[in-house]
Amino acid sequence: MIQIRSVSKSFGNIEAVRDMSFSINKGEIFGILGPNGAGKSTIVNILNTLVKPDKGDVIIDGVNINNDGDTIKLIMGVVPQEIALYEELSAYENLMFWGGLYDIPKQMLVNNINRTLEVVDLVNRKNDRIKTFSGGMKRRINIACSLLHNPRILVLDEPTVGVDPQNRNHIFEVIERLHNNGMTIIYTTHYLEEAERFCDKIAIIDVGRIIALGTLKELRKISDAKDLLTIKLADYNNETISTIMSANPLIRFDSTTKTLEIDCENISNEISKMTNLIQDAGGVIERIYTRGTNLESIYLKLTGKELRD
Amino acid sequence: MFKLFKKDLTLFFHDQRSVILTFLLPVILITLFAFAYGSFGAFDGRSEPVTLLVSDLDKTLSAKEIINRIDSLEDIKTVMSDTVKSLDMVIRGKYAGALIIYKGFQDSLVSGKSPQIELLYDRSREMEIAILQQNVIRAAMNDRKSAIGIKWTSVVGEKNDIKLGLIQAVAGTAILMLLFSVAGVGASILEEKENGTINRLLYSPLKVSSILYGKMLFAFFISILQLTTMFLFAWLVFNLDLSINIPALILMILATAFAVSGIGVFLAAVAKTRQQAQNLSTIIILIMSAIGGSMIPLFIMPVILQKIAFLSVNYWGIQGFYDIFWRNLPLEAILPKIFILSGIGIFMTLSSILLFRKRIMKF
Repeated sequence: MIQIRSVSKSFGNIEAVRDMSFSINKGEIFGILGPNGAGKSTIVNILNTLVKPDKGDVIIDGVNINNDGDTIKLIMGVVPQEIALYEELSAYENLMFWGGLYDIPKQMLVNNINRTLEVVDLVNRKNDRIKTFSGGMKRRINIACSLLHNPRILVLDEPTVGVDPQNRNHIFEVIERLHNNGMTIIYTTHYLEEAERFCDKIAIIDVGRIIALGTLKELRKISDAKDLLTIKLADYNNETISTIMSANPLIRFDSTTKTLEIDCENISNEISKMTNLIQDAGGVIERIYTRGTNLESIYLKLTGKELRD
Repeated sequence: MFKLFKKDLTLFFHDQRSVILTFLLPVILITLFAFAYGSFGAFDGRSEPVTLLVSDLDKTLSAKEIINRIDSLEDIKTVMSDTVKSLDMVIRGKYAGALIIYKGFQDSLVSGKSPQIELLYDRSREMEIAILQQNVIRAAMNDRKSAIGIKWTSVVGEKNDIKLGLIQAVAGTAILMLLFSVAGVGASILEEKENGTINRLLYSPLKVSSILYGKMLFAFFISILQLTTMFLFAWLVFNLDLSINIPALILMILATAFAVSGIGVFLAAVAKTRQQAQNLSTIIILIMSAIGGSMIPLFIMPVILQKIAFLSVNYWGIQGFYDIFWRNLPLEAILPKIFILSGIGIFMTLSSILLFRKRIMKF
């Protein structure tokens, strides 16, 4: 549905996007993950035709954005990072205004507004002014405004920034509902757990380049990131440790924290093996910690740095 | 206590707007008012002579003699003209007064009668008229042969019962307030940029120019509404007769609203942030209003400031309304001011579009 081929964009001396290529299938949730300044917003602005790439092509639904930007704007809905609403207007007035920009016949627009208010679960607040809404409710109306012209593709640019956990869940439900209805979604975020939760495919970008691209499973493989099993010992002696280490040289021991660590492909298999080994060697286990492979470990492995808020 | 004082002082000097409004703006306005009231160095009221139109119907040596005497005075410069033209130019506000020396002036002097001369004047130009009256009397008194009788005739604003101060108050205040409201509308574009709604507008099928035209249309509409309300208020409360020249009044309201809304949007286009736009607007609007006659009537300002006033939209607006209500000029005589105001509007609008395109499209 969307093909990005060798796209580059610079602002002065800053290369915001460098030779980027990827494709997104219909009905997919495609995550663009990266820290602030990685180039996420530039990609979003290229997709919605506001920024013209210096090089490369972007084809959306068979239309080259350089040739027919107006059609692209009708296919695509963009939820900006900011809460781009008029605080003094009611939710309904905001929706009427933003939907009205797409020349939708009035009755159809009213129907779309009512349907969209149901999607974001704010029907009972439609006549209240936006300034009386909580941050999360504003975010949901922010999403609703981008759905009124029935776009086939929805771009969500960091839609949960500054939202409390309860409202964040509400937004997640909205996104899942849209996904279930077959909408193609491009989701930019720097929250790893969000990308992990929704995205069928994820592009990890940093300093304008794609570092890794694929499903979570594929990214795990690419990064070679493994699950981590950590066992804290209550009692042990030197002989116990040397017996364990000689049985499996990949095990690491930290005498200050009295912990044994091992990277593993399948954590559940490894737990029984390790507990047996420790007990056979005369050790006493105090506690077992596990950390499965997630985007955070993949990101860390790929970039050598942590993704911070 | 001292720590609190120090903190407030630091905050104050960090706030560019407060510093400008507290120090720079009053200094600028004091300077302008000092110029206006004639108490600033060379501009002590005697810097430029007042022009007096003279129509000599007698064409005798005696008439020439009195004209030369007037011309030799430091504060007056004479320009010869015919009677009809002189009257027309005073009515149109081009000159403050015209002196008519009637036929038989010399004969009356020779026969020992009191010859008559007439000074036609526009009483809206108080300062200049005071200088003219004082000097013409001086020149007439110098004639030792016989006392010259001077007839003083106010030729502007006499047909109706309008008070000069009312026109000044309505037109001057209306344009000043209009500039402030329209600057606010212009600044709302920057507000849209700051809160992200401008980006969302750009995501829609709207063109950049449509966004700007929409804003300008709103500024134009608000300006028309505000001017109309002010004139209706002056009609209801102060009996300002709006029916004097309705087509000219409508066109003047439209042209003034267009020029002022263009300036309001232009100020926003020049500024990078809403805060900057507010600071810039306050300074420029107050200066323009001070030199343009919104705060001090132009007729009390020195000639040099009256010349600078041409640069201000307030001047063209106020003079246009003076032409309608005070001078009772026909529409064709007011058209040049309407064209100038429209020209200002077109120039400001086009410049704003160019500036906005650059600014808005920067991500």
